[in-house]
Amino acid sequence: MDTRATRAANESRDQRFFRRAPGWVLNLLMALIIVFMALPFYWVLVTAFAPQLKAFGRPPDWIPLDLTLENFRRVFDQVPFWGYFWNSIKVSTIITVGSVITSTLAAYAFARLRFPGRDVLFVIFLAALMIPGQVTIIPTFIIMRNLGLMNTHAALYLPALINVFGIFLLRQFFMRTPRDLEDAARLDGAGHLRVIFQIAVPLAAPAIAALAVLNFQAAWNDYFAPNLFLTSQDTFTLPVALVELRGRFGGTPTTVLAGITLVLVPVLIVFLVAQRRLTESIALTGTRG
Amino acid sequence: MSANPLPSTSKSSSSAPLLHAGGTRPPAAMRRQEARVAYLLLSPVILLFLTFIAGPLIGSIVLSFFEWDLLSDPTFVGMDNYRLLFEDDAARTAITNTLVFAFWSLVLHVVVALLLALMIQRTIPVVLDYLFRTAVFFPVIMSWASVALIWNFILDPNFGYFNYYLELVSIPTESWLLSPAWAMPAIILVDLWKTIGFTFIIILAGLQGIPAHLYEAARIDGASGWRQFVDITLPMLSPTLFLVAIITFIGAFQIFEPMFIMTGGGPLDSTISIVQLIYETGFRRFEMGYAAAISLVVFAVILVVTLVQMLLGRYWVFYE
Repeated sequence: MDTRATRAANESRDQRFFRRAPGWVLNLLMALIIVFMALPFYWVLVTAFAPQLKAFGRPPDWIPLDLTLENFRRVFDQVPFWGYFWNSIKVSTIITVGSVITSTLAAYAFARLRFPGRDVLFVIFLAALMIPGQVTIIPTFIIMRNLGLMNTHAALYLPALINVFGIFLLRQFFMRTPRDLEDAARLDGAGHLRVIFQIAVPLAAPAIAALAVLNFQAAWNDYFAPNLFLTSQDTFTLPVALVELRGRFGGTPTTVLAGITLVLVPVLIVFLVAQRRLTESIALTGTRG
Repeated sequence: MSANPLPSTSKSSSSAPLLHAGGTRPPAAMRRQEARVAYLLLSPVILLFLTFIAGPLIGSIVLSFFEWDLLSDPTFVGMDNYRLLFEDDAARTAITNTLVFAFWSLVLHVVVALLLALMIQRTIPVVLDYLFRTAVFFPVIMSWASVALIWNFILDPNFGYFNYYLELVSIPTESWLLSPAWAMPAIILVDLWKTIGFTFIIILAGLQGIPAHLYEAARIDGASGWRQFVDITLPMLSPTLFLVAIITFIGAFQIFEPMFIMTGGGPLDSTISIVQLIYETGFRRFEMGYAAAISLVVFAVILVVTLVQMLLGRYWVFYE
């Protein structure tokens, strides 16, 4: 957080909506909200490290001294966790890189080039923003079945290689950035592709990064499509694997919580490092991917 | 952030690239070449659009007039699937559940996020500011799979701490997720916990976009905190609030994971959502035509809401 700027901004807009409440009461309320929001996460951590017989005691043991890794060992014994991790990395990376590339190319064409049918095509794409995933999922399921792509990762990433929202976002960004540099490069004889990758893309880096973060996060967390298309456990991604760890694989509660911890800790670390950029890109784009 | 997703396309035509002066070829040839490049750049998304968006959309519409179990040949049934939709108790339950969820989700998200944003929009210790933002926002980036499983445990009478503390202060407890009366409220609150950070961030950005001089002027005029809120904050924030309400409703209308993972739609179908109904109808019972018809109803609702947003948004909210 840019704390100093935040503070200054807050002070000048200090509108005293909660005028009658003294500041410390509100601060205490905020502290309680922090606890309420963070407690489930802390509880997962504590319980995942607790010996199976001591977990879930009454009252809950918030500061356990008796820690163990047995729950994590059980996760790795019961399921090929690293395989799931790899599957998630693979699918999310393909979706992110692929959709960012297709969106950039299309956005550049819409923003910078003149061709017959451009505006009509763009409006059609915009209209597609309104089509929810559920409407296309049944025919998509049939397509994947006919192509023999059931239980493959291609069934997950092929439909995700087009991201209409991303095209729209990047096009808006290109429209706002000056084109002088690109024009100069074109005059010097650079081809369109060279202009895109050497000038337009570096200039649009903030928007592209924001889009990539949102796409990766959405792909990493997706449950609907993997749950639908993946049937054998060697193809599972992490969210499906977690749910199956509880169900099909009959993991004990502490084992499941250890699995959740393994999934959450990397996310938490990335989040704490990239929090500002992430919240900014969400505020900027108004989407959670 | 724009409350209206439709950008003006007029600007683009006036600022199209014109490099003819420096080119050696005649303008017509250059234009042709430019168009060729454009189509080349667009070809991946056009292909994907036809295969995975336009094609399936048309497919769903066609399919909704057929009965097909994926094995035997499809039979044309006319409007039967749509007629069934109005008579089917399961469909009525799912639609009611989804509307209830969407309504409470919308109201709670907007009100709570606004209160949270106003709460942090004061002069407060930097540490508190940081921790508050972090704690409120973190669940947004967690997967629904993790969140649903975690709350499954927390709300469980045997494993979780929730009931323990309620009993400590003598509040009657339940097996929340096993009770037809309580499962939906529980899921609404879990969803609030998970996604409020998203609404919070957007409303906070909206609040910070309100020019400070408006408040300064109001303070000089001696306007109370409440008056400032009603006369400055609310009207200036209305585009953001409206956008947030629409986004929340559209998202809530497509809710699936929390119910599917936490309760499986039960108990007694009390939490089954429309999307889960599509899932069960299409992929468990293989009634592809009926599932397609239900999915088109979801589409129709979202289309209407989006159009209302685009039309009403222009007149209804205050833009500076």
